[in-house]
Amino acid sequence: MTPDPETIALLRRFEPVIRSTRGDRFYPMDVEPYVKNCSLWVQRRGQEAVRVVPDGKLSLERLAQQPLDEPGAVHFLKLSDVEEMETDPDAGRLQVFRRHARDRKESREAFKAGRGRLARVGYLSRFVDALYSIALLARGRVPGESAAAATEAYERMMAEHENYRYHGRVLRQNGWIVLQYWLFYPFNNWRSGFFGANDHEADWEKVFVYLSESESGEVRPEWVAYAAHNYTGDNLRRRWDDPEVDKVGEHPVIYVGAGSHASYFAAGEYLTELTIPLPRPLERATRSIRSIWKTRLGQYVRNGDRSGYFSIPFVDYARGDGLTVGEGGDRAWDEPRLLDHPIPDWVSGYRGLWGLYARDPFEGEDAPAGPMYNRDKSVARAWYDPVGWAGLDKVPSPTEELRTILERREDIDSRCSDLRAEIEEKSRELKKLGVGIAAMRDRSHLDAPREEGTARAAGLSAEIDRLRARLATDETVSRSLEEYAGRLRAGERDPARAHIVRAHTPASEDELRVSRVAEFWAAVSVSLMIISFVVIALFEQRHLISMLVFSIAFFAFIEAGFRGRLVNLVVSANIGLAVVAALVLVYEFFWPLVVAAVLVVGIYILWDNLRELRR
Amino acid sequence: MEPDKASYRTVKVIGALLILEVIGLVFIGAFEFWQVRWGGLAFEDQPHDTVEVAVYALFLPSGVLTLMSAMSFLFMRRKGWHLAAIAQGLSLAVSLWLYSWFQPNYVYPIMAYCVIMILYLNSREVRVAFLPRQDREASYDA
Repeated sequence: MTPDPETIALLRRFEPVIRSTRGDRFYPMDVEPYVKNCSLWVQRRGQEAVRVVPDGKLSLERLAQQPLDEPGAVHFLKLSDVEEMETDPDAGRLQVFRRHARDRKESREAFKAGRGRLARVGYLSRFVDALYSIALLARGRVPGESAAAATEAYERMMAEHENYRYHGRVLRQNGWIVLQYWLFYPFNNWRSGFFGANDHEADWEKVFVYLSESESGEVRPEWVAYAAHNYTGDNLRRRWDDPEVDKVGEHPVIYVGAGSHASYFAAGEYLTELTIPLPRPLERATRSIRSIWKTRLGQYVRNGDRSGYFSIPFVDYARGDGLTVGEGGDRAWDEPRLLDHPIPDWVSGYRGLWGLYARDPFEGEDAPAGPMYNRDKSVARAWYDPVGWAGLDKVPSPTEELRTILERREDIDSRCSDLRAEIEEKSRELKKLGVGIAAMRDRSHLDAPREEGTARAAGLSAEIDRLRARLATDETVSRSLEEYAGRLRAGERDPARAHIVRAHTPASEDELRVSRVAEFWAAVSVSLMIISFVVIALFEQRHLISMLVFSIAFFAFIEAGFRGRLVNLVVSANIGLAVVAALVLVYEFFWPLVVAAVLVVGIYILWDNLRELRR
Repeated sequence: MEPDKASYRTVKVIGALLILEVIGLVFIGAFEFWQVRWGGLAFEDQPHDTVEVAVYALFLPSGVLTLMSAMSFLFMRRKGWHLAAIAQGLSLAVSLWLYSWFQPNYVYPIMAYCVIMILYLNSREVRVAFLPRQDREASYDA
């Protein structure tokens, strides 16, 4: 099938520029050579994984012929099969081991981790981070040598035919023309290469550009959206004229996270926190205590203080100092592979994973599904509703904007007319009820209908009140719409960032300026604390409690000093001591306190009554 | 940053409460001291009550800090809040430690007073009066 030249031209006109981070090893590539180097496997429930197609025999056509799968079965590709690399498995392992060592050395030379991953968060987060790392040993994960094997395979593929390619799709939705750029990376080595959360084979990332079309058929870029960790909807997209959107001509620039390949609008180091919520009952209890503390006791709670959450810190390094692909970069894009007109069979027909299925319960180490599907084989929203995926479904395109506002105003004005008529009718009815009630006053034989009439009048009055309130609101909204339309006619636009609730911002200079001592302390503190607890438990059993309290206070003091939070430490320690002291006092003086409380209540009532008498 | 005029009353109240605390500590100390007959007793023979009175000296640092913070409040310095908070924490820590060892009677009123002072020092009204301006503005949004 011949690719549509207009579609290709449109995609190429706005194709992104990829700025990677120095030390990254994988770049967007064509899926075909990747698939050719993979084997296809199926994992059925309760059984060992079975290889369906060996590597070298797989092609995009064959991938599309995925057989019907039974419930719970997972098809997946496998790129880095160490044992398949050589006829002698041991020689293969040795080769990969050497490669692994070389990669680590090269990576160390090319990439220096930024300071402060652990120094930016507190003890609990560091402790949870340590538990997370330990849990990796028990969870399903991508084997350690896979990154090296994937690098080997990737270099082989690039040596055969070097390519930098995206997979493109153009579709129209809700008045927008959506250009979808699907970027395929053969491996995500965020964990093994850049101290991140996970590794997995295959990585599908996406960049969407939203165009408006004028009546003359001219297209103009309006919005751009990149997929990023922990962000959804409105927060994913930026307006084309937003200063944060870096551009080379008409090409948006993407700063790619090292290893993770997440996309960012600005170069920098992004702290991503994997938040683990408390169990629901505990969270409810925490919220209640905070509410009592703040409202009943009038205590100070700092803005943005979170409680009841553990978070594991990871840094996404999107420095933009590595290889640049695209307009004006180190490498140019090859002709894109189209994903539409019609949808290729390998996109719609293959519902499995694009790399190793590690059986990770958190799914972080499992490979992703293709552009069209989620891991659970449901169709992905980014595929069937790219406009809604970026929260753009509520935003009309510029050509439709004024018309939509006027239509909305007409709807509201028409509702206002209906409301006015209804209010008038109900007001007349209410007046009739009112005169009826007045006529029945001091007529004891008409008490029952008068009471019934009074109740009906009260109900009707409340209803009219609701209608009037709604009318007043609608009239105000109508006036706002009129003003809004006027501003649009005058060429005024909304602020470019008004839709963003939570923007991903790189770490500030201050955050990056963490001293080496603080960094060292952050790295060793959790282990030191655990070791000191063990030593105290073994050698200081006589003063166990006081020594534990002393050591906790010592660690907390140093920690607070490094993080500049000594005031918070003093407040927290004081509150803790006050709670313990209050409990001691209640324990020691329970009955005297009860008597005192009753006395206070009695005196208060006496004072209140006497005050009334004096008036 | 100095507290503004609206919070001047709050500052004066805290200063007065802290001076009251120092007076209370001195009064309790003097009262306990006069209860013991000091002459002719070797240290190792001290009765339990005498040891309780002797360890009262542990309140000396927190008493001095409380006095300093009270003075600081008179001069309307923001650091006074920090000193006062540390002094209250120290007094409470000493009280709890003494309670765990000797349970002397004098720790209970000190504990009660410190609990009230800690709650008052951490109350929104007081904290806002001593916050840097940008934090103060943010706290109103809460």
